[in-house]
Amino acid sequence: MKNAFLSFQHGLRRILERIREWCGDASYERYQRAMARKREPMVLSPQQFYVQQLERKYSRPNRCC
Amino acid sequence: MKKFISAFVWIVIAVIGAGALAAIALRRNERISATWFVVAAACFYLVAYRFYSAFLAAKLVALDDSRATPSERNDDGRDFVPTNKWVLFGHHFAAIAGPGPLVGPTLAAQFGYLPGTLWLIAGAAFAGCVQDFVILFCSIRRNGKSLGEMARDEVGKRGGFIAQLAVLAILIILLGVVALVVVNALKTSPWATFTLAMTIPIALLMGVYLRYLRPGRVLEASLIGLALVLFVVVAGQWVADSASWASVFTLSGVALAFWIIAYGFAASALPVWLLLAPRDYLSAFIKAGAIFSLAAGILIVRPEIQMPALTKFIDGSGPVFAGKVFPFCFITIACGAISGFHSLISSGTTPKMIQREGHARVIGYGAMLLESFVGVMAMVAACAMQPGVYFAINSPAGVVGTAPDAVAATISGWGYHLDPQTMTNMARAVGEQTLFNRAGGAPSLAVGMAQIFSSTIGGERLMSIWYHFAIMFEALFILTVLDAGTRVGRFMVQEMGGRVWKPFGQTSWMPSVVISSAFVVGAWGYFLYQGVIDPLGGINSLWPLFGIANQLLAAVALVVATTILLKMGRLKWIWVTLVPTVWLITITMTASWQKIFSGNARIGFLSGASAWAAQIAAGKIPAARLTEIQRTIFNLRLDAVVTAVLAVMILVLVLEAILRWTAILTKRSEAVLHETPYVATQWVAGAEGD
Repeated sequence: MKNAFLSFQHGLRRILERIREWCGDASYERYQRAMARKREPMVLSPQQFYVQQLERKYSRPNRCC
Repeated sequence: MKKFISAFVWIVIAVIGAGALAAIALRRNERISATWFVVAAACFYLVAYRFYSAFLAAKLVALDDSRATPSERNDDGRDFVPTNKWVLFGHHFAAIAGPGPLVGPTLAAQFGYLPGTLWLIAGAAFAGCVQDFVILFCSIRRNGKSLGEMARDEVGKRGGFIAQLAVLAILIILLGVVALVVVNALKTSPWATFTLAMTIPIALLMGVYLRYLRPGRVLEASLIGLALVLFVVVAGQWVADSASWASVFTLSGVALAFWIIAYGFAASALPVWLLLAPRDYLSAFIKAGAIFSLAAGILIVRPEIQMPALTKFIDGSGPVFAGKVFPFCFITIACGAISGFHSLISSGTTPKMIQREGHARVIGYGAMLLESFVGVMAMVAACAMQPGVYFAINSPAGVVGTAPDAVAATISGWGYHLDPQTMTNMARAVGEQTLFNRAGGAPSLAVGMAQIFSSTIGGERLMSIWYHFAIMFEALFILTVLDAGTRVGRFMVQEMGGRVWKPFGQTSWMPSVVISSAFVVGAWGYFLYQGVIDPLGGINSLWPLFGIANQLLAAVALVVATTILLKMGRLKWIWVTLVPTVWLITITMTASWQKIFSGNARIGFLSGASAWAAQIAAGKIPAARLTEIQRTIFNLRLDAVVTAVLAVMILVLVLEAILRWTAILTKRSEAVLHETPYVATQWVAGAEGD
């Protein structure tokens, strides 16, 4: 029973993580991880990153008919 | 044993799918359940995905999971981001699924349910999915290059230029048409207008929240926005019931058109974080929720299809738009079966985020199958209502008149019985003053959705709430396409202008921002205004124009794909992209020819203009309408020129491609592929990236 509850909790957490990734909630965390992997300094604050990301995203076709 | 079970399961799925398709295709004069549509589509998609996409992945393009993708090679946490397969599937689907697969099938339902449904299912499996998948593959192998760049590298400079022009043309026509759909859905409806207007302050609030209060917390801001939007959907009823407030939000088509043009300009020129991005977040959540709810509603309610398999309007005399089933059914359905615009997404963000080449199959091919399924559901929602009601909502005043009795008599005369009281009762049930003459597809789809939703939850009592929820959902994400498209158009104009005068290319230089935004908004705004004042409702002339432009872009994408496959030495399998290319060119050229030169004044732009001119010459037009009709004549001639330019672009591209293919096949020119060199992946299977 306990195992079932734990795996349910784990599954739920994974789904939430995926939703956060899908909607862009986790973008800054991913940027942090990418910088850490490349051992480069963090150059953008969360606010700067958010605005820059939007500027890039909406400068090319990203919504279809 | 495992192989035997698998083969048995697939044979069962194929047999069930074939049976359901036969039931849809062969039954006449008896009503069938929507379940047949869902089963036929689902089984066909499963078989197509399992076998055809596997063949494409293995034989046609030979996906290679040992090869590092652009996201691995260039991982910068910004543009190139390795992304989980299902998260990227969601991103890609949200990007490709717009109003097209909802509006197109709803309009094409005037031919009956059969032609549109067959094209949605087969067109997606053999054309749309193939285009999306192959272009995604080509872009992955070219470090995420765009369609225009690939066309320039692989086909030639002219091909690249045509691709760029086609993108701008389709953007402008698309934005004009979808804005017209919104205008026709909102005009004289204070409830719907109030609800949509309120999404602007809600988006601004979300923008400030995401920028200053909780940077990047999209999920919580979207949930707050969603709650507020649901509240304003309900509050719209109070506005409609208040005499003073209702008059503020009761707007004519022309007034709404100017408001939408002003909105488009603001969304393009304002900082992206303030209005455009938060509205997009809101729209994405509502879109996902509404589409899944519609699927669940259809499965629970299993409505009966009331529209016949084929209507008399396959002969080209349809009231919604004129033109025979061939080629106009295929032009009208557009995005639910194949959309050139998808190739921009497949060569945009998606290839930069994909983790493995193998994921291209589910993302490129699978997401398009899902979009086609959305199209089938829209067809079901449109065909589940009485045909008389469907034609009353979608027929323009210029064809059926405006007085309820006259409309009912005309439509009943076509053989689709309509009682004026039915329309009055339905308008009352959905909280509208009238549902007559609402060409554009959105109101009839909203009625269909409201009927399905209210049969699941709330019954007749909640019909008006569901109707306005559906209108808000359609209008919200159409406006998202509008503002995102205007901004992209602005960047394209700035880039082109920058080639002539460098400072104009600086995307943050305010004079350039204002001029380029005004240019793009002015261009699509003109098409919108033309549609609003068109005596035939605008959709009759503009939707086919949009369909032609969209299929033109698909032809560009498929020509690029065919050229690349030829260079890869896949001559044996070249029919995979060549057959849909030939089909698209055939329907696009036929439709273009008919739209320009048909002698039928409702189909041909030139004969339409001549017919009006003859009426003026004969003194049949009252002086008060003279200016309006002269403007209509000018607009029809302009549409003929635009269609001709699109057709010439296709011919030039095809000629260029044929010359290139001949040179490759006769070995007169070397087949140089512009792929990035092979780099082996460093990721262990199943543990890659994030």
